[in-house]
Amino acid sequence: MPERVDRDRTPAYRFLGVEVTRREAAFLVLGVVVLFIVPDLTTVSDSLQLSVIHQGLLFGFAAVGLNLLLRHTKLTSFGHAAFFGTGAYATAVLARYAGVQSVGLLLLGAIAAATVMAAIIGALSLRHTGLYFALLTLAFGQLLYAIALGQSALGGSDGLPIRPGPANQPLLFGTAFSPDVYQVLTYYLTVVVILIGLFVMYRITQSPFRNALDAIGQERTRARFIGLPVRRYVWAAFVVSGIYGGVAGGLYAVVRQYVRPEGTLFFLRSGDILFMAILGGFRTLVGPLIGGVVLVFLQDVGQDVTQYYDFLTGVVLLILVYGFPRGIVGSLRSGGIVNTRLNELRREPSVLSTWGRTAVQSIERKVTEALTSLRIILFGVD
Amino acid sequence: MAVTPTAALVQTLNGIQFGFILFMIASGLTVILGILDVLNLAHGELFSLGAYTAIGVFGFIIGIVGPPGGGVVGTAVFVLAVLAAVLVTAAILLPVGTLFEAVFLRQIYDRDQVYQLVLTFALLLILLDVKKVIWGDSSIRTDAVYSAINTIPTSELVGLNYPTYNVFVILVGSVVVVGLFWFFERTKTGRIIRATAIDREMATAIGVSTDRVFTLVFALGAFLAGFAGAMAVPPTSATLEMGTNPLVLSFVVIVIGGLGSLRGAFVGALLVGVIRSWMITLYPPGEIAAPFAIMALILLVKPEGLFGTWGETA
Repeated sequence: MPERVDRDRTPAYRFLGVEVTRREAAFLVLGVVVLFIVPDLTTVSDSLQLSVIHQGLLFGFAAVGLNLLLRHTKLTSFGHAAFFGTGAYATAVLARYAGVQSVGLLLLGAIAAATVMAAIIGALSLRHTGLYFALLTLAFGQLLYAIALGQSALGGSDGLPIRPGPANQPLLFGTAFSPDVYQVLTYYLTVVVILIGLFVMYRITQSPFRNALDAIGQERTRARFIGLPVRRYVWAAFVVSGIYGGVAGGLYAVVRQYVRPEGTLFFLRSGDILFMAILGGFRTLVGPLIGGVVLVFLQDVGQDVTQYYDFLTGVVLLILVYGFPRGIVGSLRSGGIVNTRLNELRREPSVLSTWGRTAVQSIERKVTEALTSLRIILFGVD
Repeated sequence: MAVTPTAALVQTLNGIQFGFILFMIASGLTVILGILDVLNLAHGELFSLGAYTAIGVFGFIIGIVGPPGGGVVGTAVFVLAVLAAVLVTAAILLPVGTLFEAVFLRQIYDRDQVYQLVLTFALLLILLDVKKVIWGDSSIRTDAVYSAINTIPTSELVGLNYPTYNVFVILVGSVVVVGLFWFFERTKTGRIIRATAIDREMATAIGVSTDRVFTLVFALGAFLAGFAGAMAVPPTSATLEMGTNPLVLSFVVIVIGGLGSLRGAFVGALLVGVIRSWMITLYPPGEIAAPFAIMALILLVKPEGLFGTWGETA
């Protein structure tokens, strides 16, 4: 049962090692309820589609894993689609060539494959940090993409179906369901997996391991001097984050019943996963998940509304970079630049003219600078 | 599969030709990376913007000059016109690059590197749709340049059947390489850029405006990308997604060569170009994988890349 503790003089509750204030608990319950009633919500409006939200959650889950690296060790992985794709392809291969039908076994296969892959890629790419690390992970991701594309056993660019056995589909609880029911059931499976995954991630972020990772992220050399096994810890974090990607990929394959290299392994998917984490707020636990739903939803809705949906996503990312650098969840929690500005405006409306003046001044300065730069480009520095 | 010496030579030449195009893209990327410390994901889109723009510019300039007249003079005029069109295209990309750096990137140098990735990716997406608005969904091409230049005999003189346009690309590419090295080694502006790359604070102390150097470098990168786009487009067509592949290959090139090293980018580009081209005949499925395999290998053996980072020499 929940046990009452005090945190900074606000009453908080601790249950299964999760410590929350009353307000946080309300949000937590609300979030879980929303997750569970999504299939009902989607029947209300046509613009909400279960498969879209489901896909967003899956990619978001991979982003939660990536976030372990990004948030604590300050490593930017640009190849997380490698694990997503490994999980998806492991599922497909098991279903196709080993005839595995049970969803549980398929997912276990995905986890195993992703763990091995993350262990290998991690061991090879973690010798580097910064942009080198980002490029190395990108390279390994593209290597896997190329392999999936080039091998006819993996279906080439057509991909592989996940339709094992006489039922022509993976079995939940040993039973085959009609497509509609299957979709909803796999959604609930995803929700359960996500909740477990978030809980595990929360426990990790409460552990000394997280502090060690933070220390490594801040200053590697110092971390090594105080006796932390830097290489091993970062590697462990990398593998854990890879497993999250693998689970998400396995679920994706089970849900979609089809995997293609473009949709799972391509480097733009890696980018998506990274940007989901930042969009949602990479300093938070659930941010990446929400970022995933928002980004996938945005791309899907954008495709319906306009043919220029890339532009839409691009503008959203621009607004994110300049207006809400802490991401959706981070900004909601602490208030972004826009929020502070709004408060200022409410307090003193005349601040508007000051803003206008500074804006004009900065534009003027930019134009002068640009002209000077142009002159330098054309005539050199003399 | 038996590979005749001629076929091997043709493939190698193809690889070298592609390598030069790749160098023009990767050199801009690597210089931006070495000096601004920004990985410009939108660089491939600048390349493809160059390709799209070039088709219009080619059409315009050839409209003025007319098809190649007979004789040596007529051909020479046509080749010069093509070169002028390429330069005009690249020049059009200059303000684009300047704008990118001055308006967007400059605001966020002091932030986490992740935000620069997000920003340049956002610019990539926006440019993608800007192209779609201007030039439409379907691919466009220009045949006049490729076929006209191919009528000039070059490789046929030594008994080899090889498109003259590719020879043209190799020649122009060599000039660009020499020009770039000359720029960085000999000109004052080039030295200032190098000084900034080696020690930013020291450069500021002796009176270099890093802001301007940054803008200049980004504009230079855009110029080179536009140049590459204009050179690459005549044999193929300009498509919306043509920027992706060269971008990813440029990553490989700059990692092989060493982040920020111009010399490394040159060696890396030729290496990637030739090996990729060989793979097309030897083992087609390996075409995409080979560059990444080389990159992983080189990083394991020589983690800082073949030529390390930017330093006393370009």
